[in-house]
Amino acid sequence: MENLVEINNEAHKNLVLNPAKAEAHGANLRLIPAVVPEFTNLAVQYPIVLTKNEETGEFTFAAMLGFDQEENLFWENNQWQGIYLPLQVQRQPFFLGKASERASKGDAQDYVVCIDTNSPMISKQSVESDPQLQKVYTDSGAESEYFQQSKQCLSHLLQGELDNAKLLDLLKQFDLLQPLSLEVTFVNEQRMRLNGLYTINQDKLAALTNEHVITLHKSALLQPIYTMIASLGQVYALIERKNEKITSAKE
Amino acid sequence: MNNSTNNSADVNNPVKKVVVVGGGIAGWLTAGRLAAHHKANTETGIEVVLVESPTVPAIGVGEGTWPTMRSTLIALGISETDFIRECDASFKQGAKFAKWVDGAPEDFYYHPLVLPQGFSKADMAGYWLAQQNQNKDSFSQAVCFQEAVCEQGLAPKTIRTPEFDAIANYAYHLDSGKFAVFLQKHCTEKLGVQHVLDDVVGIQSLENGDIGAVATKENGNLSGDLFVDCTGFSSLLLGKHFKVPFKSCSDVLFIDTALAVQVPYEDENTPIASHTISTGQEAGWIWDIGLQHRRGVGYVYSSKYSSEEQARAVLAKYVGPKIDSLNIRKIPIKSGHREKFWTNNCVAVGLSAGFLEPLEASALVLVELSAQMICEQLPATRDAMDIVAKRFNETFLYRWDKIIDFLKLHYMLSKRTEDFWADNRDPKSIPDSLLELMKLWEHRAPADFDFTSNNEVFPAASYQYVLYGMGFESDYTQSQYLLNNRSFADQQFAKNKEMIKKANAALPSNRELLDKIRQYGFSSM
Repeated sequence: MENLVEINNEAHKNLVLNPAKAEAHGANLRLIPAVVPEFTNLAVQYPIVLTKNEETGEFTFAAMLGFDQEENLFWENNQWQGIYLPLQVQRQPFFLGKASERASKGDAQDYVVCIDTNSPMISKQSVESDPQLQKVYTDSGAESEYFQQSKQCLSHLLQGELDNAKLLDLLKQFDLLQPLSLEVTFVNEQRMRLNGLYTINQDKLAALTNEHVITLHKSALLQPIYTMIASLGQVYALIERKNEKITSAKE
Repeated sequence: MNNSTNNSADVNNPVKKVVVVGGGIAGWLTAGRLAAHHKANTETGIEVVLVESPTVPAIGVGEGTWPTMRSTLIALGISETDFIRECDASFKQGAKFAKWVDGAPEDFYYHPLVLPQGFSKADMAGYWLAQQNQNKDSFSQAVCFQEAVCEQGLAPKTIRTPEFDAIANYAYHLDSGKFAVFLQKHCTEKLGVQHVLDDVVGIQSLENGDIGAVATKENGNLSGDLFVDCTGFSSLLLGKHFKVPFKSCSDVLFIDTALAVQVPYEDENTPIASHTISTGQEAGWIWDIGLQHRRGVGYVYSSKYSSEEQARAVLAKYVGPKIDSLNIRKIPIKSGHREKFWTNNCVAVGLSAGFLEPLEASALVLVELSAQMICEQLPATRDAMDIVAKRFNETFLYRWDKIIDFLKLHYMLSKRTEDFWADNRDPKSIPDSLLELMKLWEHRAPADFDFTSNNEVFPAASYQYVLYGMGFESDYTQSQYLLNNRSFADQQFAKNKEMIKKANAALPSNRELLDKIRQYGFSSM
């Protein structure tokens, strides 16, 4: 369970993090929320699909990493075996929280950076004991380079969420979504039907009016749509990965 | 607007303009279906005008619907999220009948909306009756997972289920006043229905007896090719003008009075039942319908068996002390229908055609079915109208009869001892058509082949739920061949248990889902 607290250079002055452990946050995730700006990176290895938020029923973009519940086929030997690490994992253990009224009074700063105090990245060791370890604040209390990079990542995510909303709006408006029906048979004859995933309706995409195509293109959303379509081919790679896992487990 | 009326009707006249008189739910649903189906908002479509009195209040019957309402809303192009938000609507997964069998505190059964497990493949009722276990589940609990869903107060779907899709089949409870306003806005803004707020003061007839126009107080004559009478109990066109007689069925269905009251919830966390609760009383029954922001409760009774004072006491006992601060509305009920519903170029929809009683929510579904048939079979010319009228009358006379049979079934099987209930068992009060069916069901369960018309209203499954819920026992001694696949039946019973477990794990509470719909809405996929 995450426990988010606002970060500051007094309480967290001596905080030490192990960036290598960020990946562990994704160890049990079958679907990881994704943002439009990282679609091209994701598509190199992962199918990009839509799923529905359990709480709100709203569509969310996600990279698909496995078939069974809590199955991440890219997590092996306690390591992420993928080329690209999704932003939602990279960002760990930092989150953006809405600033309380006190903080936002008359200030443009609407968000505050929080840290998950339950993150496995938090290290009890001293920063000198391991060259991998990073401090969040320097001795003088300034933000470390590592922390500044992490904040950059948060700001990418924030920007990406806005792009997501724009894309989703138009996908719904132009009626371009459809359920993704996937029936898979693995090497051990196990059959599986995947429900609750959605993707682009290519027939409707092909039938868009000129005007709608231009709208999508001018909003720079045509490319992510095609990236999503292309990424579906990665389902085969994912099945392959699953088959290898099944086979090697037998041996 | 064409105010002059040509005094003759040419048989080749195309039907291009429909005038709906009356603006309750019946009026707006019919106008909406016609306008949507016949593209009233385009050049080539027909013209649909709805004239509504600014002074006559809508009666507001029917807060309960059938699952058909989902297809009706889809046909009208309405978003389910908007409908639920604006009509105070909630989900209805059938009805719970309490104290109908013998009146004991634990006496209840369900008429759910999901078909019995294995229904189309085996006579599940027979297998259920053959179970020897003394503490066996009720029929509805043994063959349908929906009873458990209702008893747990769960919704029929989740926030991730697309609009109008179901995990468990469902209908709605709705605020009829709000629904009429909602429909009016949708019909006028989206579907091209023209709205005239005026009193109809006269009718102009053509030589052949057709209505040429209705005269209004402020807007002159409204001419039309077809007139739809949605004027409620007053039945202004069909009853008053065409003098089509009213056929009472009070000799079969004894209810003649309703006392209705709106009951607020204790607080914003009070569970909202996702089924209609119908509780038997000394001279009738009480309906209890959970909307989002209040309950609708009412006692329908027969004044022959109860004074109004007694009835008020029965209602007060059910609602509790808070009834003192609530406004009780008394509504007379004349059970019956017109001898025909379509004559000349006038068809009646809603209360102007007839009304029975709120049991099994037959009022709105008849409006939907009427509107559907009118819009799908709208004759192209006056010439074809008499044929359509004849077919319409045959169809709906059949439907009214079947509904009367099905409602009577609820009463005739009761073992309650009060006079109202005892008299309901008198064979003289039971239609022959129902007595015949009962004879057949002495030795087997109601089956699809008992209901072979295209115009059936209640399916065989509904008869099974009521029959075996009310404690009827078909005797299979002569029909053992129906029970020769016990292992299949056992699989179905086990499957149902499994589905109960799954549903309990997957479905949110009814209130929780309604809150989420207000906050987030459904997606259309």
